[in-house]
Amino acid sequence: MSLQVDIKLQRGDFRLAVNGRLPERGVTILFGPSGAGKSSLLKAIAGLQPCQGLIRFADRVWQDERDSLPAHRRPVGLMLQKPTLFPHLSVAGNLTFAARRSGADAGRWRQVVALTELQPLLERGVAGLSGGEAQRVALARALLTEPDLLLLDEPLSALDSDRRQALMAVIARVAERLPVLYVTHQLEEVMTLGDHLWWLDQGGLREQGELTERLAGLHGPLAAGGQAAVVLHTRHRHYDPQHHLLELALGERLLRLPADGPRGDTPRLKVAARDVSLALTAARDSSVLNILPARVDSLRDLGHGQCLVRLECEGQWLLARLSTLSRDSLALRPGTPVYAQIKAAALV
Amino acid sequence: MSVSPADWQALWVSVKLALISTALLLVLCTPLAWWLARRRRRGQALLEALLALPLVLPPTVLGFYLLLWLGPNGPGGQLAGLWGAHSLAFTFTGLVLGSVLYSLPFVLQPLKNAFVTVDQDTLDMAASLGAAPWDRFRNVVLPLARPGYLSAAVLGFAHTLGEFGVVLMIGGSLAGETRVASVALYEHVEVGDYGQAHRLALVLVLMSLVLLWGLFRWQRRPGTLT
Repeated sequence: MSLQVDIKLQRGDFRLAVNGRLPERGVTILFGPSGAGKSSLLKAIAGLQPCQGLIRFADRVWQDERDSLPAHRRPVGLMLQKPTLFPHLSVAGNLTFAARRSGADAGRWRQVVALTELQPLLERGVAGLSGGEAQRVALARALLTEPDLLLLDEPLSALDSDRRQALMAVIARVAERLPVLYVTHQLEEVMTLGDHLWWLDQGGLREQGELTERLAGLHGPLAAGGQAAVVLHTRHRHYDPQHHLLELALGERLLRLPADGPRGDTPRLKVAARDVSLALTAARDSSVLNILPARVDSLRDLGHGQCLVRLECEGQWLLARLSTLSRDSLALRPGTPVYAQIKAAALV
Repeated sequence: MSVSPADWQALWVSVKLALISTALLLVLCTPLAWWLARRRRRGQALLEALLALPLVLPPTVLGFYLLLWLGPNGPGGQLAGLWGAHSLAFTFTGLVLGSVLYSLPFVLQPLKNAFVTVDQDTLDMAASLGAAPWDRFRNVVLPLARPGYLSAAVLGFAHTLGEFGVVLMIGGSLAGETRVASVALYEHVEVGDYGQAHRLALVLVLMSLVLLWGLFRWQRRPGTLT
């Protein structure tokens, strides 16, 4: 474990009690409704929000009952929800502020500037930057602290889609070396970046663990919000340019997806529960390309005549959202073999 | 007709007094203003009221108390005993002490206002980027508070330059030591020398005007953080 947190904090009526662990690397999505205390939690870890309890990173104690390591001595790269750039410094000045104190050298400086595409903005003052530009500066600045832990609070919320894709790749690469705690509401970012999940609700961690596993739970955070979806981890097989189809392997099975080109060796797919329907036999006359044998694992009644079915398929989980009428007419119960028809899946 | 050498000397004493007082005030008020700006503590309102008193008190009231404190029987007199004098009243040092008290709110307020506008998130961010407390103050707070420092310096200087009541009470009018321009002017009027008075007054008006004009021009500069 890299980061271990067991803290309590209270401000007025607001109460937060979090006991969580971060793995040594990878992106942990901090998910939760607004007001759940996500930003306060990040600040507490960074040493900017007084709290009680224990914070330990690797073999170093950052806070216990007696002492608290001050914020400037915690090796944390922090991005607050608003970029919070220094208004008296240029873009370059903001980056240098971080680099000079972390000892990041000129090579690293140029590398980060290139990754965040800030070259054309370096001499600008920060007052005239757009929201997205300011976020890129804030991210670059956080990276230049040469952190051991990256805390990002909705870091890409103001960026356009292309830039967001590019910076997600940057963050994913950073996360190969160190743990990243990442606050976001965007499903796209959750699915693309997330390796692990901390689900913060009503002032506490309701669930924590491997993201794919948590999302596939019948009571997971997305299911609670009515947007149940899972991530499928696939392997690249073949790209068929004639039909613009990407062939991906899911265990022994093949999935085919419309795409404009190959998407890496191990693409992730987002499959929403509402895009999965079930049949007891494999339809050969269906327009649905992807029909996979699966087995019902468990069911949950959502009310209003809807239910959520968890399926095991090639060692991974799928969720399907059905009417209770379909459930009853197909006589679905744990163990029932079915065919899952995946009507849509998105590469993330 | 020109300003007499004695009046130039009085002007120089005024300027020297204003420079020294302003410098002392900037140093003194920096921690005080920071403390007042960042925290709300019990008793703070009373302290701020005390510090703002010179704004509303007739300068002669302040001067009267100072006369008692700086005189041979007050703490100031005892302090002067350390270097063999018996009183701080009617000395340049005494004038400096008086000016510092009298002009304090004019320096304290702009600094405090400037510090209040420095956003806590900005300071938090600086900390998280590895800046220790003094580093944060030096490289984030001071640059952001620069307009406040300029206002504070100009107001403190100009206000000390225009000081009269306090000086009258504790300064006496020793040429080259405690005779400042405003007192010299008063003495010219007392003896009916309106010509001298006019010239000295004009110099004071022009000096003050130039100072304030410079300040306002700077404050209206595009891109200035105010």
